[in-house]
Amino acid sequence: MSEITSPSPELPSNSSSASSDHDPDPPIQLQLPPLSIHDDPLPPPTSHPGKRNADEDDASISWRKRKKHFFVLSHSGKPIYSRYGDEHKLAGFSATLQAIISFVENGGDRVKLVRAGNHQVVFLVKGPIYLVCISCTEEPYESLRGQLELIYGQVIVILTKSINKCFERNSKFDMTPLLGGTDTVFSSLIHSFNWNPATFLHAYTCLPLTYAARQAAGAILQDVVDSGVLFAILMCRHKVINLVGAQKATLHPDDLLLLVNFIMSTESFRTSESFSPVCLPRYNPLAFLYAYIHYFDDDTYLMLLTTRSDAFYHLKDCRIHIETVLLKSNVLSEVQRSLLDGGMRVEDLPPLPSRSGSSSHLGHPGPPTDSPYRSREPSSGTGGAAGLWHFIYRSIFLDQYVSSDFSSPVNTPKQQKRLYRAYQKLFSSMHDKGIGPNKTQFRRDENYAMLCWVTQDFELYTAFDPLADKALAIKTCNRVCQWVKDVENEIFLLGASPFSW
Amino acid sequence: MGCGSSTPGRDSRQFGRDNSENGGGQDAKNLRVKLVLLGDSGVGKSCIVLRFVRGQFDPTSKVTVGASFLSQTIALQDSTTVKFEIWDTAGQERYAALAPLYYRGAAVAVVVYDITSPESFSKAQYWVKELQKHGSPEIVLALVGNKADLHEKREVAVQDGIDYAEKNGMFFIETSAKTADNINELFEEIAKRLPRPSAS
Ligand SMILES: Nc1nc2c(ncn2[C@@H]2O[C@H](COP(=O)(O)OP(=O)(O)O)[C@@H](O)[C@H]2O)c(=O)[nH]1
Ligand SMILES: [Mg+2]
Repeated sequence: MSEITSPSPELPSNSSSASSDHDPDPPIQLQLPPLSIHDDPLPPPTSHPGKRNADEDDASISWRKRKKHFFVLSHSGKPIYSRYGDEHKLAGFSATLQAIISFVENGGDRVKLVRAGNHQVVFLVKGPIYLVCISCTEEPYESLRGQLELIYGQVIVILTKSINKCFERNSKFDMTPLLGGTDTVFSSLIHSFNWNPATFLHAYTCLPLTYAARQAAGAILQDVVDSGVLFAILMCRHKVINLVGAQKATLHPDDLLLLVNFIMSTESFRTSESFSPVCLPRYNPLAFLYAYIHYFDDDTYLMLLTTRSDAFYHLKDCRIHIETVLLKSNVLSEVQRSLLDGGMRVEDLPPLPSRSGSSSHLGHPGPPTDSPYRSREPSSGTGGAAGLWHFIYRSIFLDQYVSSDFSSPVNTPKQQKRLYRAYQKLFSSMHDKGIGPNKTQFRRDENYAMLCWVTQDFELYTAFDPLADKALAIKTCNRVCQWVKDVENEIFLLGASPFSW
Repeated sequence: MGCGSSTPGRDSRQFGRDNSENGGGQDAKNLRVKLVLLGDSGVGKSCIVLRFVRGQFDPTSKVTVGASFLSQTIALQDSTTVKFEIWDTAGQERYAALAPLYYRGAAVAVVVYDITSPESFSKAQYWVKELQKHGSPEIVLALVGNKADLHEKREVAVQDGIDYAEKNGMFFIETSAKTADNINELFEEIAKRLPRPSAS
């Protein structure tokens, strides 16, 4: 891990403006008259996942006021999923979308993006399945497209890609019955676009844990994998405690994201141990794997994946074995403690020369008087040093990221969502052109000063007070990188990773 | 090992834990049977199991995905115990092809319908046929008309259930997971009908 070398890193030309992003392969853009979907100054309610407003149809005003719609439809125009309202009542609208798609497909290329007034309509065509997002959220095209890719992936998790065969047999095939009971899976995924950075970082995050506890969990998962299990994954909510894959079996972070979303949004898995077919689209989109799922407590759960449909009793025995070991080694109680303690907080950012012999720990220092540096930093009263509000650090080799806990002033869901949108924008602007080995970007707008730094090893995204001093912000980024390095044993899963590098 | 962690909050009828410390083998006194619940989504399979295993009824619907595994042991009058290892299946169309995964090797299949839904009664008949074709030949079949508490909305006559069950050599009962009516009776009746290994 390197540091930003002084003098200050080279700034990109668009550094001071939140300029619009350029697509290397510009999507087809159609200018349409504004759609009759009206702007709504308020974001849609996001409090509880689950299908809302099932009585809405495309004539109802509330439906048209939503800021962001997702649709899945078949190539014959049959609705498969819609974010708001009942798919069947939206049949007329789906047919309209389908007509637009056919029109452009016949023109030789595939529609990717239609601008209509201040709405973007983004299309993704996956064989017989069409996915559409209509949005006036100003998220970049790449982000919305990535979200459609994930929605498609979630369909595959539930049904596998062999669903295409049903359309080959009957192009008017109605897919909705096959997705019965999975509304919450999709609504929870769409909700996670607002709060889960894994949805655009394509990386997973770990629960902070002592190295010893994570190792203990890894050792027992390895034993189980050695007995013929494909993947053994121990999770706490959306965070990985440890995961082990069989030799040569690689688990893509997006597969993990979709799997975790499927498990976490399905209430029945919490009720008792379960065994369910699931497909991992990146691992093998054509076949089901079988997942044994068991919750040790409200937060911590185990997933054991196998190719064998008759493995339930073996996996159950494995779980009993794992449970015994985890209890004996206190891993489960350490997990609970980690949940209480939280993760990295910008207020706790140590000063740069942290060569204090023993490596620093995540452990949170006591009262702020512990840190003479903190009081010296020009800070706007909230957040961390130099007005640092939040950061996300993504390790490229590990396919993992760590993000700081939210704290004042980014502490309401609405503010957090706005920050993620800003990160998303930054992320896609850093990724849409060929990136050199080092790249930085500094942008300032009325909400944040954001500094992003991409190297071959890592990506750092930081959000500062909009009035933050740029030179100090750069220094602070170096401190964040050093801090992450100092505590990497506790925040990352190191060592043999089953992920494909 | 055993059912411990899968059945927290067991009710007071529960005897002992896992009675199969004798290596899991069957003996005449302690039976262990695999039971699968089949039927349309929404007829109350999960509620029946949770009523039986945990003595609870949660009216908020939680759609089952894949299949849930629960176990419960009951003691019979003749001092034998029966440990039911229960597969509560999802009943959704996408898993229809995977149903054999769960009913393969089952000693008991409980086919459930909702007395307020004729469609669910037809679906139950589909499952009975499927089991007769592909289930194990000695399988004990039970037909259950659930939601008996909703008698004012009844659309499947009791006699229809009785007749169909009789024709197909099944045990028949109407239950209510909500009021707990006939839930224990269902499992006790099944237990009595199990083929016993000859005492040695
Ligand atoms: N009135 C009544 N409702 C029931 C009964 N059993 C289940 N339900 C309701 O029926 C719905 C579906 O039940 P569930 O057990 O999830 O059905 P499953 O799909 O067959 O597992 C739930 O909303 C339950 O509250 C019952 O005996 N009486
Ligand atoms: Mg159920």
